[in-house]
Amino acid sequence: MCDSGRSDREILDATLSRPYPDTAVLAVRGEIDTLTAPAFTAALDELLTASGEVLVMDLTGVRFLASSGLAAMISAAHRAEDRGIRLRLVITSRAVRRPLEVTGTAALFDLHSDPESAYGGRD
Amino acid sequence: MTDLDSPSPADALDGASTVEVRTSASAALIPTIRAVASDLAARADFDLDAISDLRMAVDEACATLVDVASPTSWLRCTFLVRPERIEVHAQVQTKHAEAVVSTDTFGWRVLQTLADEVTVHHDRDVDGAGPTVGIRLDKRSGDVMR
Repeated sequence: MCDSGRSDREILDATLSRPYPDTAVLAVRGEIDTLTAPAFTAALDELLTASGEVLVMDLTGVRFLASSGLAAMISAAHRAEDRGIRLRLVITSRAVRRPLEVTGTAALFDLHSDPESAYGGRD
Repeated sequence: MTDLDSPSPADALDGASTVEVRTSASAALIPTIRAVASDLAARADFDLDAISDLRMAVDEACATLVDVASPTSWLRCTFLVRPERIEVHAQVQTKHAEAVVSTDTFGWRVLQTLADEVTVHHDRDVDGAGPTVGIRLDKRSGDVMR
């Protein structure tokens, strides 16, 4: 395999932010496939090592989700569980919802359709 | 030529329209192939979930094959668009005759979930181009049980 075919499609944009002191949000944009799964996994590691009780993955900007991405998400859900935390997902598109549902992966997460409801439960 | 290389005469007779995409066997080109899959399914009036499933299944099959492909291999993906379903044959040349697609992975289980039927085909060196491995999958345009 050579890397001559690299393009910006391979680049996954993942940004970690802290809208509240107890909340960490990883916002991901792009396509999660075998090319970008390593970057996605690294970003999830960052989220999982963040302090706080509320860990959110905002996947509204994700246009494709392959099994390699699902595997990373399943592993992240289990690691969060070890901390006693259930990861929250923000998803709006079929491109993300369908893979999660058809594989049964959705059951591992709290699903939300907008970021505010994902951070919710506070005054 | 193996029977994976091109549609057989029987395929040509039963009303399937055929689209073949051939790239070098590089993961960087799979987004192009899955975009073709998605487009064909949309034009064939697949329901939205079935379009998503086919796109993901084709991605999975191609990624699996690219993993075992020889460095100089092509990745050939043939779509047979039939009434109510699309059949996909994806194939690469492998490094060794013993190269196999592992079917005990999470990715393979996902592929089986997404496609209505999926099979692996290993072929020894038939035409001097080296041994090949292929995945065939079949996807219906909608969930008839729904």
